[in-house]
Amino acid sequence: MKNFVLMLVLLTGSGFCLADVLIKGARLVTDNGETGEIRDLRIEGGRIVEIGVNLIATNQTRTFDAMARPITAGLIDSATTIGLAEVSGLGVSYDGEVSGDEMAAGFQVALALNSASTLIPLASNDGITRGIVVPEPGDSNFAGQSAAVRFVRGSNFLQRADNALHLYLRERDRRHAGGSRSRALSQAVDALKEAARFERQREAYDSNRLRPFEIGHDDLEALVLVLSGKMPLVVHVDRAADIRNVVDAFTAFADVRLVLAGVAEAWKVTEILLAHDIPVLINALDNLPQNFDRLGARLDQARLLSVSGVRFALMSGSPYSEFRSLTQAAGVAVAHGLAWEQALLAMTSVPAEIWGLEGLGKIELGAKADLVIWSGDPLEVSSAPVVVMVDGDWVNLETRQDLLAKRYLEVLNLETTD
Amino acid sequence: MKTILLLLMVATWIGELSADYGSTYQPKTHKSFLIDNAVIDVGEGQGEFLGWVAVSGGRIQAMGTADEPKPEVEERLDANGLWLTPGIIDVHSHLGDYPSPSYRAHSDGNEATSPVTAEVWAEHSVWPQDPQFPLALAGGVTVLQILPGSANLFGGRSVVLKNVWSRTVQGMKFPGAPYGLKMACGENPKRVYGSKSQSPATRMGNFAGYRKAWIDAQEYQKKWQRYEKALSEYIAWESTKRGSDYKARPSPPKRNLQMETLVGVLEGEILVHNHCYRADEMAQIIDLSREFNYQVTAFHHAVEAYKIGDLLAANNVCAAMWADWWQFKLESYDGVKSNVPMVHAAGACAIVHSDSATGIQRLNQEAAKALAAGRRLGLSLTDSDALTWLTRNAAKALGILEQTGTLASGKMADLVLWSHPPLSVYARAQVVFIDGVKHFDREQGIGPVTDFEIGQREEIF
Repeated sequence: MKNFVLMLVLLTGSGFCLADVLIKGARLVTDNGETGEIRDLRIEGGRIVEIGVNLIATNQTRTFDAMARPITAGLIDSATTIGLAEVSGLGVSYDGEVSGDEMAAGFQVALALNSASTLIPLASNDGITRGIVVPEPGDSNFAGQSAAVRFVRGSNFLQRADNALHLYLRERDRRHAGGSRSRALSQAVDALKEAARFERQREAYDSNRLRPFEIGHDDLEALVLVLSGKMPLVVHVDRAADIRNVVDAFTAFADVRLVLAGVAEAWKVTEILLAHDIPVLINALDNLPQNFDRLGARLDQARLLSVSGVRFALMSGSPYSEFRSLTQAAGVAVAHGLAWEQALLAMTSVPAEIWGLEGLGKIELGAKADLVIWSGDPLEVSSAPVVVMVDGDWVNLETRQDLLAKRYLEVLNLETTD
Repeated sequence: MKTILLLLMVATWIGELSADYGSTYQPKTHKSFLIDNAVIDVGEGQGEFLGWVAVSGGRIQAMGTADEPKPEVEERLDANGLWLTPGIIDVHSHLGDYPSPSYRAHSDGNEATSPVTAEVWAEHSVWPQDPQFPLALAGGVTVLQILPGSANLFGGRSVVLKNVWSRTVQGMKFPGAPYGLKMACGENPKRVYGSKSQSPATRMGNFAGYRKAWIDAQEYQKKWQRYEKALSEYIAWESTKRGSDYKARPSPPKRNLQMETLVGVLEGEILVHNHCYRADEMAQIIDLSREFNYQVTAFHHAVEAYKIGDLLAANNVCAAMWADWWQFKLESYDGVKSNVPMVHAAGACAIVHSDSATGIQRLNQEAAKALAAGRRLGLSLTDSDALTWLTRNAAKALGILEQTGTLASGKMADLVLWSHPPLSVYARAQVVFIDGVKHFDREQGIGPVTDFEIGQREEIF
């Protein structure tokens, strides 16, 4: 099996694969990896062009036999820092925040991304094919813009530089606004109003005939995109009282596409989220009452959101510590009452919809061929991807860690079954 | 009488000088009971069997397979085929010392004021009302070691706790568990003190610091040994008043708490738990332990333990590891997912630890991830092997394997009944017993609520 995967990787070489691929006998998994129809999938030009039974391979077609294993759409991690740091801790190599700016809305992480990062195949090994690389606040509540990436090393890693603007209004973020969350929120609202003034009078701005702005030009341009709904506004917030205030403040701008992240206490305000159809991003394992904003943190939040109909996507937050596995978090949510299928959707079609990722998050005709074939139940901690495809090309799953482990298997002469 | 007193003094002088601070933990009494029809893994790596466990007076009274005769008990509990394991033991935790909420006012885990703070005791920082304790209990954790942080070369004494709700830390202390000494290698001490332009600022500075402290400890040990000798000579003289020379009663040296802890290690009373990431540094620490003739009980974090599994096995040192934390600092850069199973396969004592208030809630899943990575690498390992990383091996490293860590007659009845096979992501602890007392029952809504949570947070399980 391993040899076959290796061969595929060698054949596809740099990642360009013009030939068709036929995946035989994959289980369109719906529950715990055991149910779901078994179908063949034909891939052409990076898209799924046919789904059926007994599809016929042509001479040019390369066939992969899934042997009834579960197949899912490539998973989407709605908050990661892969590509922003090789070693995250202690300022070693992290590019995800800027200090010294009172307003960092114009900051984009995109230009700092390392498309050769050794962490990229780690995402693939968790079945994650797309991610949102998120900035952290340095000295500003507006931390900057996240990037949408695809987890393939080397080529076309960055997909979108202005994925979303991130505003942090958690307990500890008060310090960026003189010490009170009240001012943090009002400053953010004022910034949007200033951006509206800027947008109304661009000509006057360009000829220097306007009352000056305290906000830099690139910040204003970012806020204009938010105002028009072209770029979502992601507000990181935990406390129920703050969620109410945030929703009130930003739904006053007609076209703003509001997304909330973190949201330890979202389950307390589901009716407000539903009323405005506001999706949320959650870390499903984050149940510690680490501060007074998070007293309502709980492991069954995903179930509560799902039952009330609030759209939610899962995010890992950090790939380095605490946990790296999005599917583990999804499994824990299922153990705490979330329907299995809802857990999968929270890593596939829901984030694709939130981020406007066309053709992603679904296995259907015309969809992009981001596909993962799993060794077992995709949410089970003992399962792993057998093969991963992004845009119709097989991804090399080998990591630097695999090579290290193999080296020391030999050095210590440990017995293996292979 | 005097002789007996003398013997006691010589034999227990460390304990005597350490004053009390002893455990006041008393398990509640309970009716004898029998858990029937459970899939049992006793934690010895020998696989599972369908059977029963009888518990009486807080201890495991007997065990057997389904067809073996059962003792008479007061209550029977049908497990309906659920999975029964020993309680999970976390050898590396900071609960209570770094509680939630995590404000500076409550953050008491690291006396980062001097590279040698062997004199501090983690138990003096533990806040028993930390709401993270019940969350760990809901993950099946019955015993945990609370360690000081890793800023210092010698961080201080650890304490082993039973995961029971109590008003005091004394009421949680595992009766008779040995103390541990937290030591730390590598980046943390040199960063913390180097940034203050004081030693250690380098790894070689770290080692100079360890060696100086152990030399001081040897001297302190000798000073007390000389005193003990003089005292016993005086007492012998005083009882007879024979012999020519008048003897004055010797005065004891002044106590030094820092040195008491280090001497406790040299005397084999206190177990060394050494935070250390890199393989080369662990090998150096083993040399250090030879120079001063003490035993390293366990390396903690040990992300490169897979490189020296043979060395660990030969020196009888455990490695307590994460399943997949790595790359958050440079000394963790070479972490691999198969670290734990590779250490196991090399014949060394492998442990899965958390060092995390979230990770401690699902150590079973962490073991499962490590197991799966080992199998993908081609290592032959069973589910039962993986369970020993959380139970038997952890108990061994804490010096409490005689009392708990596996299921055997006469041992503490620390038990977890799981909803699914314990290595599944879907497995949740359904019922947790500590010393035969039910402390957690998910379906019946039984579980401790800390004082902190009263009135503001009660829907946690």
